[in-house]
Amino acid sequence: MAGIATTLTSWNAGVTRLTAPPRATFTRLDRGATLGRPHDFVQQRCVLDATLDLLAQDAPLKPVNLNQICP
Amino acid sequence: MQILENYDEWKAAFRDGWLAHLQQTGEIDWSLYNRPDNNSAPGCPGVDLAHSRLMLVTTSGAYLPGRQEPFDAASPLGDYGIRLWSSTTPLEALAYAHEHYDQTAVNSDPQVLLPLCHLEELVGEGAIGEMAPSVVSFMGYQPDLSRVVDEMIPEIVAAAQAEEVQAALLVPA
Repeated sequence: MAGIATTLTSWNAGVTRLTAPPRATFTRLDRGATLGRPHDFVQQRCVLDATLDLLAQDAPLKPVNLNQICP
Repeated sequence: MQILENYDEWKAAFRDGWLAHLQQTGEIDWSLYNRPDNNSAPGCPGVDLAHSRLMLVTTSGAYLPGRQEPFDAASPLGDYGIRLWSSTTPLEALAYAHEHYDQTAVNSDPQVLLPLCHLEELVGEGAIGEMAPSVVSFMGYQPDLSRVVDEMIPEIVAAAQAEEVQAALLVPA
């Protein structure tokens, strides 16, 4: 994004892959609850931290699957 | 690097397929919709987030009622506008104009889509330098990707550049 490093997390890997994002994490979380279950601090921080961690790396990166990392 | 690869071909197929069907029949037929098919992800250097300004970008449709117009959530053609609101906005002050996801979770816990409290904690921990003054919000239903490229992205980029951010986090709904 015009020299701005970007990262995203998505529950919809199939569609997101088609856009070829520079940095992304993928989950199987629910539509409308992208970062995790309501009030599940641990899960939400897990997804958020993993997604933000990608910003330190040069893009493009292979998307990271968080299904086992942030259950 | 193209945001939407084969832009002209995509736009023509959209106009002659999905859009034409909607205009002719008043009905949406997703079997006629041509998804993007990018093959090249853009390259960009990494950043030291601990010394960076981070902007949150949300497709939740969040807006400030009474101060901002809601997104046109019911339009089958989508809404290509953005709203900017302060990243220190109390989350209970927000409403959501979006008909393409169940809002039960975000109404129970806005952090599921708007992790501003988590992000402030990360600022406090030193993991993020600072948050951008504004959050960029839009309603994540935009069938016309050419309008996303031509209208929305320049506006989002301008907002990010105006606030001198080094990094952005996109949390789609």
